[in-house]
Amino acid sequence: MNTIRRQLTSPLQLFALATAGIILLPLGYVTSQALSADPAVWSRLWATRIPELLFNTVSLAASVAVITLFLGVSTAWLVTRVEFPGRRLWEGALVLPLAMPTYVLAYVYSYILGFGGPVEHVWQLLAGPQARIFSPHSYWGATLVMALDTFPFVYLLSRSALLSMNVSFEEVARASGVSRLSTLWRVTLPLMRPSIAAGVALVILYVVSDFGAVSLLRYQTLTYAVFQQMTGRSDNTAASILSLLLVGLALIFLITERWFRQKSRFYQTTGRYRAPQRQRYGWIGTLAVTSYLGLIVGAAFALPAALLIQWSLSPEAQATLDSRFFGFVWNSGVLAASAATGGVLIGLPLAYLASRRPTFLNLSCLQAAYAGYVLPGPVAALAVLVLFTKLAPMFYGSVLILIVAYVIHFLPAGLQSLEPALQQITPNLEEVARTLGFGMRGTWRRVTLPLVRNGFVVAWVLMFLQTMKELPATLLLRPVGFDTLAIRVWMEASEEYFQLAAPSALLIVVLSLPALALLVSKDWRAA
Amino acid sequence: MLLVVAWIFVPSAPAADKITIYSGRSERLIKPVLDAFTASTGIQVELLSSGTTELVNRLKAEGERTSADLLITNDAGSLELARTAGLLRPLNMREIERAIPAQFRAPDNAWVGLSGRFWIVVYNTTMVKPDQVKSLLDLADPKWKDKIAIPNSGSEYLQAGVSVIRATHGEEKTKQFLQGLKTNADSQVYQKSSQIVDAVAKGQVALGIVNHYYVYRHLASQPTAPIAVLMPDQQEGGMGAIMNVAGVGIIKSTKHLDSAKLLVEFLVAQAGQKLFADLDKEYPLHADVKADPALVDRKSFRAALVPLTKLAELREPTLTLIEQVGLR
Repeated sequence: MNTIRRQLTSPLQLFALATAGIILLPLGYVTSQALSADPAVWSRLWATRIPELLFNTVSLAASVAVITLFLGVSTAWLVTRVEFPGRRLWEGALVLPLAMPTYVLAYVYSYILGFGGPVEHVWQLLAGPQARIFSPHSYWGATLVMALDTFPFVYLLSRSALLSMNVSFEEVARASGVSRLSTLWRVTLPLMRPSIAAGVALVILYVVSDFGAVSLLRYQTLTYAVFQQMTGRSDNTAASILSLLLVGLALIFLITERWFRQKSRFYQTTGRYRAPQRQRYGWIGTLAVTSYLGLIVGAAFALPAALLIQWSLSPEAQATLDSRFFGFVWNSGVLAASAATGGVLIGLPLAYLASRRPTFLNLSCLQAAYAGYVLPGPVAALAVLVLFTKLAPMFYGSVLILIVAYVIHFLPAGLQSLEPALQQITPNLEEVARTLGFGMRGTWRRVTLPLVRNGFVVAWVLMFLQTMKELPATLLLRPVGFDTLAIRVWMEASEEYFQLAAPSALLIVVLSLPALALLVSKDWRAA
Repeated sequence: MLLVVAWIFVPSAPAADKITIYSGRSERLIKPVLDAFTASTGIQVELLSSGTTELVNRLKAEGERTSADLLITNDAGSLELARTAGLLRPLNMREIERAIPAQFRAPDNAWVGLSGRFWIVVYNTTMVKPDQVKSLLDLADPKWKDKIAIPNSGSEYLQAGVSVIRATHGEEKTKQFLQGLKTNADSQVYQKSSQIVDAVAKGQVALGIVNHYYVYRHLASQPTAPIAVLMPDQQEGGMGAIMNVAGVGIIKSTKHLDSAKLLVEFLVAQAGQKLFADLDKEYPLHADVKADPALVDRKSFRAALVPLTKLAELREPTLTLIEQVGLR
C-alpha cells in the first residue's frame, strides 16, 4: 500500500519541487545581486532611503489592512445574514471594485480630490476661496484608493466562509442561550478566521507590491522606489537591495498569517449546504444598510465608472478607437486567460500536497510559490528576462515570457483560495472513498474536485483579473508592438490625459465583468 | 486552440521591410515623425515606448538577441552609456556629418543628436515676476518653500542637469542646491514634465523645472494658460542654460542596417528636422532648419559649456549625490 502510494505521488512531488525551483529562480537572482553589492551601496541606502520607505510601506499596508478588514467583513456579514430589499444586487455589486485597477481609481481620485478638482471647488464655495482639502497625493490618499479597491478580497473570502460554514455551530450556541452578538464574536468570527486572514493577506500583499497607484499618487513605497531605481539607474544593485528588503517584510508577515491559520483548522463535517437564517430589519435598518453599502460601492465603483464613461464619450477619446484597439483587447484577454489557467494548473499540486501531506518539504514548496508575489513586479520581470535569455533563449521575444512572469507573480493570489478550499474538506472523505474502492483518479473526480471547485473558480478569476490589470512587468517585458489595455491606460494616464486613458480603462473594467459574474454566480457556490 | 498556442510560443518573425525602435521618448512625441517616415519610404516601424534608462538596461540584458534596430532617447548621456556598453554601431555617413554639428554627435557617430532641449524655469505669471529668478540655483532659496515642482530623481534630464551644475559649480554647492530644492518641492515631485507644467498653470505651485517644449506644447493647446518660460543662468558670467539633446543610435546587432540608416538619414535631413521642430517644439540641430517662432530665439541665450559626451561619465557620481541628498 505504502509503496503504491509513493509511486503514485512521486511525480506530483517532483512536479511541485520543479515548480518551486522555477519560481524561486528570480528570487535567487535578486538575492545574489543584492548580496554581492558593495557594502557602500547598502550603507548609503540605509542612511538615506530605507527608513522612510520602510515606514511608508508598513504604515500604508497597516491602515489599508484595518480598513479592508472592517469593510470586507461587515459587508459580507450584511449580505449573508440580513434580509433586505436588493440584497442579491448588493451581493454582486460589492465585487465590482475588483474590475477597477488601482491605478485607474488613483487617477480618478486625483481628479476628484485634486487641486482645482470638483470636491475642492465645492469646499471652497463653503469655506472660502483659499480653503484646501487634503491632497490625494498623500498617505491618506493612497490609503483611501487602496482600501476601496482591495476590500472585495476580504469580502469575498469572508462571504464564502459565511456561506459554506456549518450553521449548526451557531445554532448550538444560540440554543444554549448565548446572545447574538456573543455568538458572532465567539463562534462565527473565529470560524471565519482562516478566510479573513487569507483575505487580509491578499490585501497586504497587493498593497506592498502595487506600483500603479502609489506612483500616480506619488506616495513613496518600497515597490515604487524599486521601479524608480530600476528605470532611473543603469545598475540594478540598489533596486535588488530594496527588493530583498521588500521580500523580507512580506515573509515576516506571511509567516504571521500562516501561524494564524494553523492555529485554527476546521473541517466541514458535511458537504451539504444549508442557508443560514437571515434576520429581517425594519425600514430604518434597511435604509442604514442600503446607504452604507451604497456609499462603499459608489465610491469604489459607480462614481469612477461613471467618470470613465463620461470621459470615453468625449471626442478626444473617440478618436483613439481605431483598429489597433481591437488588438489591445485581444492581447489583454488571451494573456489573462492563459496566465490564470497556467496558474491554477501549477498551483493545485502545490496546495494539494501542502494540505494533505504537510511535510517540511511540501510546505516549503508552497511557501516558495509565494515568493513571486512579494517580489516587486519590475524586479520579477527583470529576473525573468535575464533567466530566459540565459536558459531558454528560443522563447525570448514571445508572449510566453510574459505569461511566465504573470504566473510567478500572481500564483499566490490563486493559492490563497485554493488552499482554504482544500483545507476545508476533511482528508477522511478521500480516505473513505479510497476504502470504498475508488481509485486515486476516481476519488479525485468524484470527491475532491467537486468539493474544491469553488476554490478553483475563485483562484482562476482572481488571477485573470489581476493579470488583466498588471502593469510593471508588462511594461518591462512586453514583446515589441505588443501593447495591452493596461499599457495604453498607463501611457495616457501617467501624463494626466484623463480622456485618452478612459476607453482602455473602461474596457478593462468591461472585460473583467464576465469573470466577476462567474465569481458571484450561484451554481458553484452550493457544491 | 493551435492558433493560440502558436501565438504564445513563437516569437513574431521580423519582416524584411520592418524596423523595430526602442524609444525613450513618449509615443506622442515620436510616432507622428515615424509615421511620416513610413509614408515616404514604405518601411513599417514597430515602436516600443518606455523609459530611456529602462530600455538601455533591457538592451544590455537582451544582448545579441534583441529585436531592436534603433534606440531613440531623450538624453545624450544615455546614448553615450549605450555606446560605451558596446550596444551601438558606429556610422560613417556623410549625410549625418553634413546635417548635425559635431558637438551634438558621438565622436564615431554611434549616436546622433536630433533635437535640442533646454532645462528652463516655467513660472505662473500671476504668482511670480520674471526678475525674481535669475539662476536655477535661486530655486533653493527658502522663500520658494512649497512653491516649486520638480521631476523625480529617475528622470534622465534631471540627472543630466544636475551633472552640468556639478561640473560648473562643484560638489558642495550642488549639494546645497539639491537640499534646498528638496525642501522647497517637498511632495511636489512628478514623474512627467507635462504634469509639472499643468501644476504651474493651475497655480498649485508657482514655479517648476522642465524641458522647454512642454511649456510650448501646453500653450499650444491652452493659449490662455498663465505660464511663461524663464531662461535661467544668463547673467554676466553665469553658467548658461542647461542643454541636452534627444538622439538616435543604431543597434550593433541590427539585421536591417539599410532601413535603419534610411531612418537616421530621414531624421537628420531638413524635412525630418522640421517635423521635430514643428510637432515637438524642440530646437532643430540642423543649421538650416528654423525653430518654431513661438520659442525663445535660440540666438538670444547661451547654453552651458559642458559637452554632451561628458554627461555619461558625470552621471554615476551625480546619482550618488542625488541619493545622498535623498531626492525622490
